[in-house]
Order: sequence, then C-alpha cells, then structure tokens
Amino acid sequence: MAVQTVASPPRPRGRSGASGDPRVLLRAIRYVGHYRWIAFLAYGSLFFATAAQLMVPQLIQTIIDTVVQAFVAAQILSLPANAQAAAAQSMGKTIADLQTTQSNLTNAILAAMLAILGFAIVRALFSFSQTYNAERVSQYMAYEFRRDLFAKIQRLSFSYHDQNQTGQLMIRATDDVEKLRLFIGQGLVIALQSLVLLVGTLVILWFTNRALTLVVLPILPLALVVFMVFGALTQPLFRQVQIRISALNTVLQENLAGFKVVKSFAREPQEHARFERAADGLLAQQLRVARTFSFLMPVIFLIANLGQAAVMYFGGQQIIGGTLTLGEWQKFSLYLIYVFFPMGQLGFIINLMSQAAASAQRIFEILDTKNQVEDKPGALDLTAVQGHVQFDNVTFRYFKGGEPVLSRVSFDAPAGQTVALLGATGSGKTTIINLLPRFYDATEGRVLIDRHDVRDVTVESLRSHIGIVLQETTLFTGTIRDNIAFGKPNASMDAVTAAAQAAAAHDFIMEFPEGYNTPVGERGSTLSGGQKQRIAIARALLLNPRILILDDSTSSVDLTTEYRIQKALDQLMAGRTSFVIAQRISTVLNADQILVLDKGEVVARGTHEELLESSEIYAEIYTSQLMGDKEFATPEMMKESVGVAI
Amino acid sequence: MMMGGGPGRHGNLFQDEARKPAAASATLARFWIYFKRYGIVLLAVLVLIVASTYMQVLTPNLTGQVVDCYLTPATQKLFSAAAPAGIPGATGITATNCWYAQLGAQATAQDYLAGLGGLILLIAGLAVGSALLTGLTFYLMNYTGQSVLRNLRVAVFDHIHRLSLGYFSKHEAGDVMTRVTMDADTVQQAISFPLVSLLQGVLLIVWVAFTMLTTSPVYAVISLLVTPLMFFATTWFSDQARKAFRTVRSAVGDVNANLQESFAAVREAQAFNREAENILNFNESNAASRDASIRATAFTSALSPTLEALGYVSMAIVAGVGGLLLLSRQNLLGETMSLGLIIAFLGYTQRFNQPISQISVMWTNIQSAIAGAERIFGLLDTAPDLVDKPGAIPMPSIRGRVEMQNVSAEYEPGECVLCDLNLVAEPGQMVAIVGPTGAGKTTIANLIPRFYDVTAGAVKIDGVDVRDVTAASLRAQIGVVLQDPFLFSDTVAANIRYGKPGATDAEVIAAAKLARADTFIERLPEGYHTKLGERGGGLSQGQRQLISIARAALANPRILILDEATSSVDTRTERLIQAALEKLLHGRTSFVIAHRLSTIRNADQVLVLNAGQIIERGKHEELLAQGGFYHDLYMSQFRRDPDFSGNGGAPQPVPAMAGGK
Repeated sequence: MAVQTVASPPRPRGRSGASGDPRVLLRAIRYVGHYRWIAFLAYGSLFFATAAQLMVPQLIQTIIDTVVQAFVAAQILSLPANAQAAAAQSMGKTIADLQTTQSNLTNAILAAMLAILGFAIVRALFSFSQTYNAERVSQYMAYEFRRDLFAKIQRLSFSYHDQNQTGQLMIRATDDVEKLRLFIGQGLVIALQSLVLLVGTLVILWFTNRALTLVVLPILPLALVVFMVFGALTQPLFRQVQIRISALNTVLQENLAGFKVVKSFAREPQEHARFERAADGLLAQQLRVARTFSFLMPVIFLIANLGQAAVMYFGGQQIIGGTLTLGEWQKFSLYLIYVFFPMGQLGFIINLMSQAAASAQRIFEILDTKNQVEDKPGALDLTAVQGHVQFDNVTFRYFKGGEPVLSRVSFDAPAGQTVALLGATGSGKTTIINLLPRFYDATEGRVLIDRHDVRDVTVESLRSHIGIVLQETTLFTGTIRDNIAFGKPNASMDAVTAAAQAAAAHDFIMEFPEGYNTPVGERGSTLSGGQKQRIAIARALLLNPRILILDDSTSSVDLTTEYRIQKALDQLMAGRTSFVIAQRISTVLNADQILVLDKGEVVARGTHEELLESSEIYAEIYTSQLMGDKEFATPEMMKESVGVAI
Repeated sequence: MMMGGGPGRHGNLFQDEARKPAAASATLARFWIYFKRYGIVLLAVLVLIVASTYMQVLTPNLTGQVVDCYLTPATQKLFSAAAPAGIPGATGITATNCWYAQLGAQATAQDYLAGLGGLILLIAGLAVGSALLTGLTFYLMNYTGQSVLRNLRVAVFDHIHRLSLGYFSKHEAGDVMTRVTMDADTVQQAISFPLVSLLQGVLLIVWVAFTMLTTSPVYAVISLLVTPLMFFATTWFSDQARKAFRTVRSAVGDVNANLQESFAAVREAQAFNREAENILNFNESNAASRDASIRATAFTSALSPTLEALGYVSMAIVAGVGGLLLLSRQNLLGETMSLGLIIAFLGYTQRFNQPISQISVMWTNIQSAIAGAERIFGLLDTAPDLVDKPGAIPMPSIRGRVEMQNVSAEYEPGECVLCDLNLVAEPGQMVAIVGPTGAGKTTIANLIPRFYDVTAGAVKIDGVDVRDVTAASLRAQIGVVLQDPFLFSDTVAANIRYGKPGATDAEVIAAAKLARADTFIERLPEGYHTKLGERGGGLSQGQRQLISIARAALANPRILILDEATSSVDTRTERLIQAALEKLLHGRTSFVIAHRLSTIRNADQVLVLNAGQIIERGKHEELLAQGGFYHDLYMSQFRRDPDFSGNGGAPQPVPAMAGGK
C-alpha cells in the first residue's frame, strides 16, 4: 500500500482518557472569535429570543386578568342597583369606573391578543436566528478544525504515521470534530440560553410573588441533582451500547468480508450463533439503558409536576386570600415550566462537556504535535541534482533509546549507479530508502546528495528529485491520467502518454473505452495488480527523477504481466541513481554495487562476482532468496507430509 | 477475495439516504409481523398509554375545577360579601362540572382552601400515577422495540448467508455493511423513545381533541384553528430538510472518502510532494460539506420556532376569543363560557400542541426510519439464487472424483465466462489451471464448492450433481485456500480451529506444524492464544497465509482448491508457504490456479484456459511439445525462470522474449 516502514515501532501511543481538561475547551471556544459577526448575531438573538419568551406568560396574565376584570365588572353591574355601589366599593372602585372598564376591556383583550401575536413572531425570528447562526458558527469552526487537522496530518513525518493508524486519525477529524462542534454550536448556546432563561424567570418570579417563589426554590437544587445523576448514570450506559454495537458490527463485517471463508468451511450455524450472541448482548445493554430511563425520566417529570401542584395549592391559597389574581397565578405556573425546562438542559449539557473536552484535547494533541521532519529556517532548494548519494556513518533509531535499526552505515553511490539492497526482512533495507527522501531523519551521521546534507535543503525540493516505486501500489480516486500525473498535476497530456508508453502501460490504458480518462475506483479497484504497478512506474517516470527508489518484486500478477513490469522497471532505472530492494536475479547481476544488510549493518558489499567469491552470507542469501523459486516438491518432501495427524 | 466489484459504485449509498419511504404503509404492515410476537406486551402498552393519557387529560380538567369551584367563588365572595346574601346570579355562572359538592354561599375561605387542597392532592396523585405508568410503558415499549430490532438484525444476518457469491459480485461487501448498519441504526433511533412518544402523542392529540370537542364543540374548533398550519409547516420544512440532508450526506461522504484516502496514503503524498495539492482538494470538499450543512440547518432551525409561534398564536386565540365571549356574556351557540373553561382550554391547547411539536421534530427521523426499514426488507426480499433443493441429501463422504460436463457459467446473461467446458479429475489428482487474466480460472474454482451455479451442464463430484446435495455438507468436504487469506479477529488457535470446530489443541498444533506455521506462532506474545487484530492484523501477509493453510489442513477436506499466491511475501516466506501447500495437497484432489512453474510441472494435468474454454490439456511436457498456446505462454512467462536454462550453472540474464500475444 504505502511506502513500507519496517516492522512497526512498538511504542503504543498514550491515548487520552474519556474526560479532558476543561481548560482545553476554553481554547476551542476561542475559535468562536474567528467568526465574530455570526457569533454576535447568534448570541444577540439569544438574548432577544429569551426575553421574548419571558414576556409570553406576562402577556397571558394580562389577557386573563383583563377577562377576569371584565367578568367581575359585568357581575357587579348585573347586581340590583342598590347592591352595585356596595360591591364596587368593596373593590375600591366606583360604578363609573366599572362601566368604563367594561367598555375598554374589549379593546384591551384585542390588544393583548395582538401583543401575543407580535411577540410570537419576534420570538420565532430571533429564536431561528439564534439556532441558525450558532449552527453556522459551529460549522465554520468544524471546517477550520478539519482543515487544520488535515494540513497538519498531511505534513507530519512517517514516524508519526507509524504510530497512528488511519482509522484513529479519521476519528479525530470526523467524530471528535463533530462532538466539539455539537458542544460549541448547540451545547454552549443552549447552556447560555438556559441560564438566561432560568435567571430571568427567577428574577421575575421573585419580584412578582416572593412567597410563591420560596415554594419553588427548594425544588431547584433537587431537580438539578436528579438531572446530573441522570446524565452521569446514562453516559457510561450509552458508551457500553456503542461498544456492543461495534462488537456486533465486527461480526457482520467479518462475515461479509470473509464470506467465502465462512461458506467454504460451512460455518454458517456457528457464525449465526456468534451473531446472535452479539445481538443478545446489545439487546441486554439496550434494555439496561431502557430500565434506567424508565425510572429516571418519569421522576424528572414528576418533580416538575409536583412543583406545579405545590404552586397551584399555595397560589390558590393566595387567591382565596385575595393577594393574587387568577392571571398572576396562571402566569406563575407558566413561568414554572421555564424553570424546570432549562434545568433539564443544563444537567444534560454538563455531561456533554466532559466528552467535548476530551475530543478537544485529542484534536489539539494533533495540532500541537511537533513535526520531526521540517525545513530548517533558511533552507535552500536543492537544484540541478546529479544524483551522487552518500551515507556517512548513519545510525537510525525509531525512538530515543530504542534498538538501532541501522548502525553506522556508510556507502557512496556515484551518479547513475544502481545499488541493490539485499537482506532479510528487518535488516534495514527499507530504512535506508526511507532516509533518502527524508521520510525520517538519521539519528546520527549524515545522508548527502551531491554533498548536500538532506536536512539542509527544503523537503519539497529534495523529494522532487526522487522517484519511488514500491511493490504495493496505492492509486487514488480519479482518472488514470490524474494518477500518472500524481506528482506533477500540471503535466501535459503528451508527457503523460510518453511516461505510460515507457512504463508499458499505454496499450492497456488505450483498451479501456475511456482511455486515460478511465476513472480509477477506490484504491485502484478497476485495475489489476499488474496494471496498477505499471501506472505507478509511469507515475515515477513522469517526474523524471535523478534518484530512484524501487522494489523490483512484482505483486500477484500473472507471468506475462510480471515480465512486462520488469521490462518497464529496467527502462525506468536506465541512467538514474537507483536503489533497488532486490528480489530477482537480474537486478543483482546488473547492479554496480550490492549492499548486503544484516541487523542494520552492511555486512558485505561489492558486485555479484566479487561477493559470490568473498561473502558467504551473500552466497547463502543468493541461493535461498533469489534462486528460491526453483525446486520445491521433491519426492522426499511429499512423503514427509503424510505423517501428520489430520 | 470477492469477485471483482464494479467500478465507482460507492456513493450510490448516500443518495439512498434521507429519502422518503416509497411505500410507508406496506413497510409498516411488514414491521407489524415482527411486532406480532409481542402482541400481549403491546396490548399492555396500549392499556397503559390509554391510562396515562387519561391522567394527562384529566389534569387540565381538574385545574379548571380548581378555578371554577373554589377560586372564582372565593374571589366573588370578596366583593359580594357586602351585597345581601342569596342574590341569585352571584355564583350562578360558575361551572357545573365540579366533582365535589359546591360550597354554599356561607363557605369560609378555610372551606375553599380545604376544597382546593383536596383537588390538588388529587392532581399530585395523578402525577405520581402517571409517572409510574409512563415508566412502565416506556420500558415495555423499549423491550418490544429492541427485541424486534434484534430479531430483524438476526434475520438480515441469516439472509446474507443465504445469498450467493453472485450477490456480492454485484454489491460490494462494504456497501452492504454500511447499509445494514446504517439502516439498523436509523430504525434503532426511532424504535425506542420516538415510538413511545409517537404513540402517546397521537393518542393524546386525539383524546384532547375529543375532550375539547365534547366539552365545547365550537370553542374547540376555534382553539384548533392553527393546527392545520402546524401540519403544513411540519411537512414543508421536513421535506425541505430531507432534500437538503441528502446533499449533506453525500458531501460528508466525500469528506470521509477524501480523509480516508489521504490519511491511508499519506506516505505517497509526501513522496510525491502532493501535500499542498491534497490540502487544496480536501478543503474544497470540506467547504462543500460545511455549506451544505448550513443550508440544511436553515430548515431544521426554522421548524421549532415556527411551531412554537403557532402554539402561542393558538393560545392567544383561546384566551382572546374566550375572553371576548365571556365579556359580552354571549353564548357560543348555546354554550356558556366560563372562566374555568378558558383556563381549561388553555391547558388543553398546550397539551394538544406539545405532542404536535414533538412529533414534528421527530418527523424526519421517523420517515428515514421507515425508509431504512424498507431497505432492510428490500435486502430480505432479495431471493437467494442458491438454495438447497427440496429434499437435498447430505453429500456422502467424498472420494474425490470431480467432473464438469458441458459446463457453462454466466455472470451477465448471454456472456459466458465458461463456455461448454468439460473436465475430469480423478481422486488424488492435482489439476493446474493456467491462462491469462479473465480466462475463467477463478470461475472453475468457484463452481466446485457451488459458490455459483452453472447456467448449463453439471458439476459432479463422485458422480453426484452438486445441486442435488446440501451446500453445507458439500462445502464441509472441500477446502479453499485463497490468495488473500481472511482471518477473524480472534485467537490464532480459534482461527485454525475454524476449519473444524471442536478440534483438540493437539490437532490444532499438528495442523499448524503441517502448515509450518508453528514456529512463528510460538514466537507470538501469547502463542496460540494471541488475539489477532481485525482481518488478522498484526501478522504479515505470509503469516496469515500459513494460518489459512493450517486451517484448511485441520478441516481435512477431500478436495482442495487454491489460488496460488505469489503475492507480497518475501521469498523465504513464499518458500515456506509453498512447502506447506505441497504437504496439504498430497493425497487430495486439488485444483490450483497456478502461477509457478514447479506447481505446473508437478500437476497430473494442466488445463490451459482461454476465453472460457479449455484449449489445451495434458501434462507439462506434452503441452510444451505441442507447440501451441501453452508453449507460447510458457515461452513468454516462464522462460526467465532459472529452471529453464537447465539445472546447472549460474542463470543468465534474461533476453527479451517475444510474448505470446
């Protein structure tokens, strides 16, 4: 797939735990400042929307009180004339008062209705603007986080990628960003809104009816505790659900990807049982969640309802005592909803916060990572390269204090030479080729190209002179042309065709109905292994690099194709300084210099003839690895196999 | 490995998403079949919902009574105290629906308070009762819904196994996976909370509407004036949002595909100096996804405020119209307006509007859940094209004679991949299949264990047509070793034992030894009990191959099919694999898709395949002597093989050779 890295370094990265430092959240929240105007719109709307919301019960009270006044006035006026005056007097009003009230009341009610309508519209507009703009800010922020993460990850050196799998990085850029976005875009806004609503309501309640407020107040801490317990209890349950869902999906995934294996071993019944177990596990956990919810959710509503009942009783008491009007009473119970509702939201958001903080921490961890391979300040471009490569006492460790993967390797490859690298897996072949384009930096010693230390020139210019073709080829979504022009997006069509011809790819490309514009599926799925490899060769050829790194083995292709590929490789190597991880005989025979590596050291060097004479280890590798294709099924081996009890 | 999937199929998936269900009622009816099993639980749920809804409807009524029976009279008393007692009309207007005896004119504030307290206690009691009922309802409904979903999942899983390889050559496994998990997930999200709320909501709406209509039909109609507007708003906004989310999904899909590809191939990008270009490309899809999300958000953000505003409007209408009527002391078509009625209707409207808002917000979810269920049922409806015949018998113990008689196979109707092909392999024979890519080699291998059915002719093992026996019994006696071995994320031992459940540890180790896998397995951190990562992660390709050979060895099949791997393993490992395979093949009928000269030379017969037909057959030497297609193939492909230049002396560099084609 990718440029291979030797046996992945063992150090597992310390994963940050489930909860993060809340201070990281502040750093994330500062990103809101990048979108000041939209944020201003969102938070400004929040205040207006909440204020409008707070007005509504007031308006309803007005309308009810108006109706009640009218009703009372009408009642009194319908009394026998002699009783009217007395009744009016008892309310501190004259008959004339009542009469004007009655005639004005119709207008008052209409006015109140209109007011509610107006407020409903204003409230709707602002509340829309609040949600919409907050969402916008959060989307812009998510965009920024993803952009920065992507740019950072693209440029982090191989040593970082050795330790961080694609899947993990994907989760950072998708899930973690989304969690953070939800918190900042919704959680934070809702929290603020809840707070404003709660405080606003309490202030209003306090000033309108202190006695009733005192009835409500003790319920608040109780409710908050319940909400927080609720959240604290359910979060881990949901995490468990996630774990079990992914366990279930793993079984499904394996059965799909390993479909043929399951079938050919006729293991459907066992797989069915395995899946059923996973499904039952998930079901049990879902029901555990359901039990918790079934208990906690009604409790929350119960608290709110009992609060209402209490207010109804004590409010009723005040009405009977004449200190509270019906409208005020109704208003109070409406306001009460405004108390419990935000409480619930706050309890919920507090729980979201720790998750968001953990996500923020993981995001910033990546953004703050120091890139191990970076241009020196004032590094110059490497131009007009001849291709003279030297390793000067190079030692390499994947991490400090680790085993050296290369120790004190020195060699000199004059421009145009072919250097064959030979050795067992883990002997350091791949490390040598990874140090040249500065995928890693040498721990000690120097890597020189045309006598420039590779660390003294810009990474981009350095790599532009080095072409790489490896055994497993990654192609990209896009057309065949795009893939050949991968390293040189602006290359002309003629150049692309020429490269493809030299790589023996032109003919099969032209056989596709769309030729060079044939789309290459994900990971090159439309092409065979051999076709992919030839496109990779064309891709390297197009760069016309002075230095070439390649692996001369061919992946699973039929023999005709293999032959063609090797022809193309020979073509590619001509006239360039080439480093070849040698898998075939012709390479070592043609090499100007063979480096035999063992455990990170060069144990022998020279040409084929020289080494065959002087180096035992070479002779051994030569016969075992390169000649290995020869004789397998000797009759002795066939016999040997019968004895096993199967 | 899957049969080659078509190009560029990804992406279709996302267009399916967030769509409207095509036949919602059919899907729901089908769902009902799954729910039926839990009929009794559902009945209980229904009773509970009715009871708790009754309590919820009762509460505003009681609140109305609080006003009409105690508060209003008490207030009136305050001013009528001065008036002579017994004047008619002083309390006459109040409602007649009081549950408790109305207090007389002599009642004291204390009496009113006591009456009030009684009602409040009742309300509180209702709250407690309704909490209990709600909890129970919620649990039972969850139990039903989750169980149904579990059964559905298992049904899908089982159905997938009934499908043939053919299905997966048309549908990428990844797509099927994403569909099943995503669709199950959308159904999941709708099946617990929303389903209860939906049921309760609908019942509440109906009930409240009924109560209002029976209490005061005209006032009720006036109160419900805005309801059609709410329905309209919900459908419109949901439709718009759904359309917008379709774009979002595909934009997010692009972002994820881009991330996946760029992160997985970050080394290539750096090697080719593509970082800047990639960043630019990514930001394009990144921005597109952001803008699509913002657009979709506009609709979702608008729905709630709109409904809320409409809710206020309806409350204004209730209070205003009621107030005006009360004021003018007009009868509303013969009904008397009372203060209590207004208060009660305010409560009703609230209770009526609240479930509407709730359902509205869930509406998109509900629709995509139905659409998700529809797709799941669609998958379940895919007819398995490979089923055991009625009365199929288990395959008797195989001796190993394989015969193909006039076999044709087509993936696409009319295009034969194998055309009228005949072959016979005697028990114990090794058959090498060679030929250019696309000649039909893999198809032959797939027909023997009946991964596909022939379109004409017959595949017979020991004279038995493979279609006459159960597939499981057939496959259990045939081993397949794939070029790209698939391992499960389980222990090494479990992976080997996959070939023979219930094999003893000693048998597992013996198989590993035969496959020459024991040496590296013992060096793993926990030996045979080392747990492998996904798809055998943590092992090299060669090591995975060795384990898959051990697995096949343990199964001890009479017929073995293998796709010879020349894939990315170093030469030494390849030799190991080769040696292990030789041992495995011994004494079994085997079909080898051959890539190596040594295999072909050892084969009892070599079949040369081209364009779906066997054009030459025989032993290596015979074929070579014929000087035909095989000869050309051999000259172009194997000539470089060091063997070719004779057995002595150092091999010479290969001269360029005129190819077979």
